[in-house]
Amino acid sequence: MSKSRIPNISRRDFVRTSAVFGTAAALGGVLPPFARAQEKTLDMWWWGEQELPGLQKFVDGSIAAYKDAAVKSMLQDTAVVISQFQTAAAAGKAPDIQYLWNGVYHMESVWLGYLKGLKGLVKDDILAASNPTALSRFGGNIYRVGWYPLPMFWCYNKTLFEKAGLDPEAPPKTWDELLAACEKLKSAGIEPLGGGIQDGYWSEWYITHSLPQNLDSFGEAVELFIGDKDFRDPKYHEHWKKLEELKTRGYLNKDMSSLELYPGIDLVAAGKLAIGQSIGTRLPADSKATGGKIGYMTMPLFGKGKLAGVPVVDVQGLGISSNAEDPAAAAAFLEYLNSPERLKAFWDATGWLPSNTTFDASVIADPSVRGLWENWGLKPNISNVTNLVPGQFYERAAIPTGQQIVQGSMTGEQAGELAANTAKEWRDFNPDMVENYRKWAVDLSAPM
Amino acid sequence: MTNSLSIRLKPYLYVLPLVALLAFVFGYPLLRIFEFSFKLVRGVDGPWIGLRNYELILSQSLFWESVLHNIQLLLAIPAMVVISLLISILLFERIAGWRLYRVIVFVPFVLAIPIIAVVMKRMFQFSGPVNEVLRWASLDFLALDWIGSSDVALWTVMILIVWRESALGIILFLARLLSLDEAVLEAGRLDGANWWQRVWHIILPQMRGVIEFYVVVSVITMLASVFAYVYVMGGGRGGPGTATMVVEFYIFNALIRTSLPGIASAASVLLFLVSVLLIFPMFRARRRAREEEA
Repeated sequence: MSKSRIPNISRRDFVRTSAVFGTAAALGGVLPPFARAQEKTLDMWWWGEQELPGLQKFVDGSIAAYKDAAVKSMLQDTAVVISQFQTAAAAGKAPDIQYLWNGVYHMESVWLGYLKGLKGLVKDDILAASNPTALSRFGGNIYRVGWYPLPMFWCYNKTLFEKAGLDPEAPPKTWDELLAACEKLKSAGIEPLGGGIQDGYWSEWYITHSLPQNLDSFGEAVELFIGDKDFRDPKYHEHWKKLEELKTRGYLNKDMSSLELYPGIDLVAAGKLAIGQSIGTRLPADSKATGGKIGYMTMPLFGKGKLAGVPVVDVQGLGISSNAEDPAAAAAFLEYLNSPERLKAFWDATGWLPSNTTFDASVIADPSVRGLWENWGLKPNISNVTNLVPGQFYERAAIPTGQQIVQGSMTGEQAGELAANTAKEWRDFNPDMVENYRKWAVDLSAPM
Repeated sequence: MTNSLSIRLKPYLYVLPLVALLAFVFGYPLLRIFEFSFKLVRGVDGPWIGLRNYELILSQSLFWESVLHNIQLLLAIPAMVVISLLISILLFERIAGWRLYRVIVFVPFVLAIPIIAVVMKRMFQFSGPVNEVLRWASLDFLALDWIGSSDVALWTVMILIVWRESALGIILFLARLLSLDEAVLEAGRLDGANWWQRVWHIILPQMRGVIEFYVVVSVITMLASVFAYVYVMGGGRGGPGTATMVVEFYIFNALIRTSLPGIASAASVLLFLVSVLLIFPMFRARRRAREEEA
């Protein structure tokens, strides 16, 4: 018979011990971080796992391997990425490092004074290599370090091209060539073009590819909103007339209005639709699923602007908040994320490219993905023009116009009218923003 | 005197903590919303601009379009009442398997709106099961673009709302029916009243209170509580175009997507005031329903 191993603890001992532990725990929570450990601490709020699975793994791995500061990360919900940051910044409690979508989605925070300019804070070569894009410039400064790129393109199914007697390695380059290809596809019983527009993103992507065709710079697009230019001018709504043309010729898939964006892209990968719009992060999977039979191209040309035919690469990024206690430490962490070893780790964790022109692309096995990186990522590219569209215009005009044209209830000209009216409405609702946009137009018109 | 005062105050002191909590949780945000509605808010505050937000909203076609859609949704209420009455009376008459049917008809109300809306959305896609069945039955002319056409989308949302919200009506009505004096119904039956006469002359008059209550609740639902339906069915946009945009969605867009908290607050105040006006008839209807049951 063994003795009980429970020690003989009196109630007084128990209470005393509890008090000691409780006090220690409370002090641990109350005392400032520097009292607990003599090291720098950084807060990082980020987003992206939602669109790029594996990013969490990369973030966790990077933080674990980083020795110069203790980084505490928080994955944000999609709906609050901007509002959560802005509320915290207004209260002086924003994280040191914040995830930033491109264009107006972070520029508003710049105008509110919540973000630090990164020139002189982050090394120039790293800043340039990360391609924060022209949409991150304001007042001569840059406000984001590029994190990962989102090349945007028109995709097509090579097998369906072959079936219709089209050359799968020579996709249409001009609008007339596109119409001819669509006609051939239609004659072969194949739905030529489209996707899913029910959630509106197809409308946005269409503008991404088509509006720049008649622009000489993104500053010109901003002028459309501040009232210096007008969507009723035929050249600024020609892209919607082209969409109307696709509709009236019967080239758009019949269920386009009731499908969402990604199920629409799935149709191309599944061989049920010949041409669609897609994004780089989908390419590895689609290419694999079709045995390399997914091709990509820039939108066939109809416009005469300087931006016509230039590949589109949007870039997600990271910035430093004005509340950062040690901006240099935050900048050092961003530089660390752009070190060759971390760029490789990014690829390993996500199977996707980091936004850095120094990334060693030899690790990319899929020729389609490598080609996309070489032709979209490393050559001259433009950002996504819809990222400088004011939210009110985006919801009221950019999305509805495409949806209504596709369902046949609006013409391209009417779309221009709606866009012009909405731009005016935006100016009425946001008189304080017009001046900011006017200044921004100067940066957007300047050469990189 | 002092003693009598303290006796009178005592009950109020008991409820004071709860009142204070409610004032903090609901009252403070409400005051802030009223305050914001008079400001051009950027970030968390902004300059005072008087009634400008209200002027902008009331002069915007999108806002009135949203209001119109809410009003259009009111058309669903008569259908909901009729369907709920019919089914609840059938269940009350204990048709074979009524207990099982009672569970089945209430299931839509138990499930979260996004879940049933997502399912319905798939059903109503242009190439979805509903149209497939219609085409199979050679009813191609009925195979509409249910969620992709501006002409049809709001009606499709309405179908979903009728389906789900009727479940509440069925349960409310059935509860009332079960409390009716069966002797009166039996007397009607013995006097030779047919089914329709019993429903019209005996059942419905006694259910007036609960029907009124359900109608008022449904009106408030249609005006201020259809966001989840519209969000899912309208592709998260109130679309196609602006075909399913309602006032709640207008507020959501202004606050979350277009960075206009002042506008969102002003629209919220308007919606709040309309809802408050409707709450009084709701209380009256509820009182009447209780009185009838007593």
